[in-house]
Amino acid sequence: MTPTVSASGLSLRFGGTQALDEVSLRLTSGVTGLLGPNGAGKTTLLRVLATAVPPDRGAFTVLGQDPATAAGRQEVRRRLGYLPQTPGFHPDFSAFEFVDYVAILKELTDRGARHREVRRVLDEVDLADVRAKRIKKLSGGMRQRVALAAALVGDPGFLVLDEPTVGLDPEQRMRFRELIAQAGEGRTVLLSTHQTEDVAMLCHRVLVMAGGRIRFDGTPAELTARAGGRVWSSTERDPGAKAGWRTGTGTFRNVGSPPAGADLLEPTLEDGYLLTLDGAGAEVAAA
Amino acid sequence: MTWHVDAEDLRAYARGELAPPALWSADTHLVACAQCRGVLAEVGDPERVDDGWERLDAELDAPRPGVFEGLLMRLGVADHTARLLAATPVLRRSWLGAVVAVLVMSVVAAHAGTAAASPTLFLALAPLLPLGGVALSYGPALDPTYEMAVVAPMHGFRLLMVRTVAVLTAVLGLSGLATLALPGYGLGALAWLLPALALTSTGLVLSARLGPVLAPSLVGGVWVAVLLAAHAYDAGATPVPFTAAGQGVAAAVAALTGGLLFLVRDRFDRFQGDAV
Repeated sequence: MTPTVSASGLSLRFGGTQALDEVSLRLTSGVTGLLGPNGAGKTTLLRVLATAVPPDRGAFTVLGQDPATAAGRQEVRRRLGYLPQTPGFHPDFSAFEFVDYVAILKELTDRGARHREVRRVLDEVDLADVRAKRIKKLSGGMRQRVALAAALVGDPGFLVLDEPTVGLDPEQRMRFRELIAQAGEGRTVLLSTHQTEDVAMLCHRVLVMAGGRIRFDGTPAELTARAGGRVWSSTERDPGAKAGWRTGTGTFRNVGSPPAGADLLEPTLEDGYLLTLDGAGAEVAAA
Repeated sequence: MTWHVDAEDLRAYARGELAPPALWSADTHLVACAQCRGVLAEVGDPERVDDGWERLDAELDAPRPGVFEGLLMRLGVADHTARLLAATPVLRRSWLGAVVAVLVMSVVAAHAGTAAASPTLFLALAPLLPLGGVALSYGPALDPTYEMAVVAPMHGFRLLMVRTVAVLTAVLGLSGLATLALPGYGLGALAWLLPALALTSTGLVLSARLGPVLAPSLVGGVWVAVLLAAHAYDAGATPVPFTAAGQGVAAAVAALTGGLLFLVRDRFDRFQGDAV
């Protein structure tokens, strides 16, 4: 299968920080999750792949185009959908007007065709009923859906979503997951998130970043399997554990290297993620 | 119903060839007039008529443009450009209100004699207004949709220029009106114009490298420093930037930086904020 994104040796330095360090990856159709702690380089990677920031070193193609050239960049942008980490809105615009504005930025200048496209994407994210409402009057979840609708204008082949479920309540998050799953049908979606549940529920593949490098590239099941035999329960927090916390049942769930005879538990994706970060030298949150 | 859409217009409508504003008029009329809808159904290819209904449906769903946007469209600005301008932060009432307040105060000061009965304060302030306006119209700090705009196919430089022209038109227009209210109005009272263009153009060129906050701040600071130095050198004389020689330099700087701006246009096509 021809990859939508193919990158090799991407590196980028900001001041004293190596934001990206020799990142190579290939993305194909479906939803790929990008996990990593704050400062791991996720947003930088997304901005590079979305053509907002050029890398210092390395090369990449998106949808067969080379964004290093002005013409290639233009072509990529025509087929790109981008939802930034903190999407900004013109608060006095209605949902329709805002998406219409983004459609204009995407070069849809024919009024009739543009308005039809705006209606289509607002329908797709279930906002048809509130399209005339001012954005400042919409809930956080609805605003995120407006931003997703804007990203979907023009039916992009590559959709980049930077932590779209942050700040949403569980119901909104679930609804948003449905929309992302729907958006991932027939196109390539790169989803940056802190939520391992997002990855477990949505992604056919997951990348884990830390310190500007890709530390894991595989399926969610493979990431979960990394914690096989390394999660156990105990009545006290095990000092030898990389991370451990008291669960609702009063016992401790420990992740790391279990002592002999430990009461092993079924690992989760989050356990695999924590152990991957620990192996990468990143800080692992412990209760 | 006191009138009906002309039969020829309905045929053109059915073919999808009726152009605005007749198209908009027909759209609106057809919603309310069963007779014209009947004629349309007879003269049109059913598939095209369905397309027309779909288009009409979409138009009726589209919210009415705001006051500012509507005004621009009535002035002949294309609807997509009007929407781009409506999203320009400094074309909002708060910014324009501040500009008017500054101009009124400087004109009042000139009349009150607090500026040595000369328009020096006005001349010094007027060039800073478009510089500030343009600086505030684009960039990650003030444009909430900046990040989406950067990765959109529309070139960042084009968006910047559309907004710059709009800001310059608004601010220079207001400054021009204020000029008419200055005491002893004459050609000298227009001496702010070339420095205004030079400062704005220089600010834009430098913002390609220094960013949209530092560059205009630096340029504005240099302008104020030049005026203070000129005042300190000879408080009674016309400040150098407003002399014939100063005007010549301002024109040259505006032309030079205008050329440089074109050369560095691709820099506006990339993200200018801090990456994480």
